[in-house]
Amino acid sequence: MLPSYYEFHNPVKIMSGHKALDNLPSELEMLGAKCPMVITDKGVAGAGLVKIFTQSFDSSGMTIGAIFDDVPPDSSSEVVEKITAIFRKNGCDSLIALGGGSVIDTAKGVNILVTENSDDLLQFSGAEMLKKKMKPLVVIPTTSGTGSEVTVVAVISDIKRNLKMAFSSTRLLPDIALLDPRMTLTLPPKMTAATAMDAMSHAVESFINLQKNPMSDAYALAAIEMIRKNVINAVSDGNDAKVRLAMANASTMAGIAFSNSMVGVVHSLGHAAGGICHIPHGVAMNIFLPFGLEYNMSKCRDNIGRLLLPMAGADVYARTPESRRAEQMIHYLRELRKALNDLCGLPINLKQAGVTEDKLPQIAKAAINDPSIIMNPREMDENDALEILKKAFA
Amino acid sequence: MEVQYRPIVPGVKRLKLTVIQIVFLVLGRAFQCASQHDEEIRKEIEPWPEGFTLMMKVMPDGPSMGLEKKDNMLLFRGSQLKSANLEIYFRNVESAFMIMTPQMGSPQAFAEKRMSIKGDLGIATVFTRTLVIVMATLYPEIIVKKLVKRVPPLTLKRAGLRVWLYTFGILLGR
Repeated sequence: MLPSYYEFHNPVKIMSGHKALDNLPSELEMLGAKCPMVITDKGVAGAGLVKIFTQSFDSSGMTIGAIFDDVPPDSSSEVVEKITAIFRKNGCDSLIALGGGSVIDTAKGVNILVTENSDDLLQFSGAEMLKKKMKPLVVIPTTSGTGSEVTVVAVISDIKRNLKMAFSSTRLLPDIALLDPRMTLTLPPKMTAATAMDAMSHAVESFINLQKNPMSDAYALAAIEMIRKNVINAVSDGNDAKVRLAMANASTMAGIAFSNSMVGVVHSLGHAAGGICHIPHGVAMNIFLPFGLEYNMSKCRDNIGRLLLPMAGADVYARTPESRRAEQMIHYLRELRKALNDLCGLPINLKQAGVTEDKLPQIAKAAINDPSIIMNPREMDENDALEILKKAFA
Repeated sequence: MEVQYRPIVPGVKRLKLTVIQIVFLVLGRAFQCASQHDEEIRKEIEPWPEGFTLMMKVMPDGPSMGLEKKDNMLLFRGSQLKSANLEIYFRNVESAFMIMTPQMGSPQAFAEKRMSIKGDLGIATVFTRTLVIVMATLYPEIIVKKLVKRVPPLTLKRAGLRVWLYTFGILLGR
């Protein structure tokens, strides 16, 4: 059913495939960039990906302004300010984020400061606070999960003020998302599984919530099918470049889907559990996804049922009566979680993830204030959140 | 004969703007009154900093409704505020009219991007919950259930608040 009104926006150019990186210098030139600054982290550098990256600039005639490779696992305003100073000192004119969610969010934060010519991120936090056209930003994901390469959001911690700043603006959308299979080959199995389930949660939640629309639906369905077909292979044989590229594409498609229809209670609970118990986001998504679907069943059974097709394939979908498709969808999702748990130990409940039961009320309280709850089909109050958490505990 | 092309000066949707202005007045006073009596609203706004301001405004320069937190209450500031810590915009007169009359609820309005937020998204999430409580106090369930995801229970105290709102609360803002 068509919504009475919807908007869909994705101006990000996708460059995907074999040696995609080598096309980057000419693309930067077309964006008017002459001196890009690269933002990455120690893990990416240690895996040899920065070396592959810099080699793609050989004989291109383009100078890399600076490479900052010390982004922490949680992006912070201090790091953003530090990188901004280097960007200004070296006369850089564009940004390249080479990494996962934290690196990408950090690059978006730097872009805010250098564009707005400011040193205080806080004044730009919130929705639609950015007025100026940003500097060119290229994102090269080294994980397949966050979808940040195509989203309008960034989350950055302000450690001094002890708060998490959320930024949401169409101006934060990168110019280019570059998917090169070489960039995800070294991702360890457990992280591959966790990030894949993060992408899965983006696609699934975008398909069932209030802002869903035909365009985001198309991306979500394609993403789920691609994850289902490739995730086990990606976890069991990380060196398969084709499988890695498929996962990168699935993650980007899921990112486009949720950037245009937002997420729901699975993310509200995941953000809260991550903030309080420091569970990695992908792990939290894997734990909460089936419980979030069960919680929303009364409001969107048909939509959950439609997801059985990409989740289990045409044969299963055709032989399952319409009235049972939603339950079957959740069953196949649980089967996938179990397979990943067996393969790489990806936690399937909060206890396995190291959460203690006494933290559940605190998580429930934080979850209902998470902005992602607004687009969820069912209104979740603190008691509901606690009930879901108890079910997901063990 | 040569066709003359002249600039077209847009009209003004006076009636709809007036209706929105009246609803803002009612809603603002209802917020001020409910925030003094409804424990749930008071609990929700407690963590907001003292002096926190909030504004609902019709773009680009239509009517607005300002609220300010003082002594754990939301004081109605009419259209005095030029900016606020949290600003909720209606993209145009038609969107505001639909939401204010009330033909469309805030979850659908946000989903359809008829409303947008400038400021802290966490506080905006809490504010939408308080808005639901105020609407459930103002309007009968038959209307509210079409607008919100879950209708807050009409407790005896809230039913009393509804009577108070329609008799003196909106008039006095107390």
